[in-house]
Formats: sequence, C-alpha cells, structure tokens
Amino acid sequence: MTKGQFRVTPAGAEATPVVVATGEIDLANLDEFEGALARAASDSSSITVDLSEVTYCDSAAVRALFAAAATAKLALVIPATGPITTVLRISGLDRIATVTVVD
Amino acid sequence: MPGPHFQPLAHPHLLAMLTRILERAEADLRGTLGTSVTVHDGRDADGPTVIASLGVGADMVGAQLSGLGGPVADALTHQIPVVALDLWTDERWPELTLDAVTGRAPARRGDWERVHGAAAVPGLWDDDATVVVSVTLAEPASAATVATLVNYEQLVAAALVTTAAETAAAFEDVLTVLQSRGAIEQAKGALMGLLGCDAEQAWTVLRRASQEFNVKLRELAVALLEHVAGAPAEQPDVAEHIAPDEPARKAAALLWSAMSTAVPQDDS
Repeated sequence: MTKGQFRVTPAGAEATPVVVATGEIDLANLDEFEGALARAASDSSSITVDLSEVTYCDSAAVRALFAAAATAKLALVIPATGPITTVLRISGLDRIATVTVVD
Repeated sequence: MPGPHFQPLAHPHLLAMLTRILERAEADLRGTLGTSVTVHDGRDADGPTVIASLGVGADMVGAQLSGLGGPVADALTHQIPVVALDLWTDERWPELTLDAVTGRAPARRGDWERVHGAAAVPGLWDDDATVVVSVTLAEPASAATVATLVNYEQLVAAALVTTAAETAAAFEDVLTVLQSRGAIEQAKGALMGLLGCDAEQAWTVLRRASQEFNVKLRELAVALLEHVAGAPAEQPDVAEHIAPDEPARKAAALLWSAMSTAVPQDDS
C-alpha cells in the first residue's frame, strides 16, 4: 500500500486533528495506522478518524480504535452502510465514539 | 490435522494460571461482577467451552451461548472486540434480558440486577482455535475496559500457546500459531534478524534449543532477549514476569553464540 494511506491533519486553532484512512487496514499496515492515531493524539485530547474511504478493517484495527478511544475523545466518520459500518456496530465502537455518517 | 490436538482442560496448571490472570484482570478493572476465558477449537465438534471464570463469568457466557446472544457470542463469531454500555437494554441482543438470564441462573439474581456493562476480546491462539476473554461490570463499560482486556487476552493467549508448545503431542499444531506473542515472538524476530531466516525456521531453532537444553521455551525466549539486549526483556506490566533461571540463561548464551558464528557476518 502507498504511504499516503493514513493522512494526519494536525490540530488547528479550533479543529481537532484528523486521521484520514483509505483502503484496507489489517496486520500488514497496523503499525502505520497506530502511528497515525498516536501522532494525531499527541497534541490533542480529541481526535477524528475518517474511515469513509476504508474498504476493510480487521480485528487489530478495531483494537487500535478502542485503544485510541481509551486515551482521547474519539470521533469517527463512517459511510452509511458497508463492512466498516457493520464492524463498528457489532463491536459497539459506534456507542463509544461520536459518529458522523457520510454518504 | 492428524493426532490428538491440544486440550486446555487437560492441563490443570494452565487452568490455575488462567484463573490467576483473571484475578489480576479483576483487580485492574473497576466494578467487576465476573470474568471468563472461553475457547473454541474449530477442530472440535463441541461448541465453545468456558475454561476459567470468576464470579458471574461462566453463567454469563453460558446464557449467551445458549442462544440469547451477547458480547462473547459475537466476539467468537466475528473475531472483533465487543463492548456494551448497558447489556440488558442493548438492542444488539434483544433476547439477552435480565429476566431471561435470571431464569437460567436464579441463584445469581442479586448479581444480575447489578449488571451494566460488558466487554469481550477475542484472539487466535492456534491455527483454528479462538479464545475470548470477557468481563461483566456493575458499571458501564468503556474503551478503557476493552483496552485493559486486550492486555489480558494477550496474556491468556500466551499462556495457551506456551502450554501447548510444551506439550509434545501438540507441537505440530502450534507450529501454525499465527499470533504467538510476547517474548517468543520477539525472540523469533531476533533470530530472524541474525540468521536471515523466516519465522518458521526461527521457531524451529527456538524449539530445538528448548528441547536440547531442556529449558522451558518461554524462559529461553526471555533469556535470549535479555542476552541480546544486555538488559531485562520488556514484558507487559500485567504479566506475571518470566524470570529465566540459570540453565535458561546459559542455553540462550550458547544458542546465540552458536548462531552468530554459524552465520557469515558482515564485518564492515
């Protein structure tokens, strides 16, 4: 996968840092994903993770999101339907994080 | 897979270790009503089995697996961590209610009435075997509950993996372990770096050395890491620390020097 799979926008004056993820998140790029989450959380008590362009995420990615939510206020951007939405609903992450649904 | 495979219930030492791990987990989590370790081996005709539990743990898992559904059932099915803020009112499991569970285990009525949150974290510990560590709380569960449980799931999986690895009959099974973790995994990494070999070869080297020197695999792994690093190996805070004994240290030093000289080194 290309390096641009996880883009981190640092915190702005009024905005929380944002991690935009695309493609598949699994064991192969978990370190990168965790690194992006850690960078985003390093200077803010809340982070936004945009998963609307993610096509697949495995158990390890869900764990990483729970870990992020344990240390920072987590907001998720997810599509209305699809595998990511299903995974977040089954895991209950959608109850722990603030969820924004995009089309 | 031929031959008898590893049966956790046949290892009292392992079960005692798992109970101690759950006791640690309960001390780490707030408002715990029960904890449990459930395993499901895809090669067994039987369904999932609770192999260790405290408090309401076993009854809670039993109720969920009887068809009521719940976090443990979903964690087993979907292989992802599952959290519930308020178990009895969660619309994901409409049949898992205070009445239904009290009906199944009336003796625990007082505990059932106090239930709020719950969490379950799954992991693989063998080729086709799943383990789920779960907790039931008298307060809402949170992301921190899951994060804590993840640490304990890793300990539980490590206990299963190492016990299976020390059981000769099951050895071939654990060669295919995908997620053996912690010290053994790191030791494998060190050997892979040294030998330029793949993970399976590193695993074979470790296993042979463990048998040859007659030291426990996990102690050898920790000793090896300490030998390479020249410092105590990193171990999770929650772990019962593995303290390699003198034979393990000696074996690690011998193994490392034998491996180091066996491989042409780049002297530049």
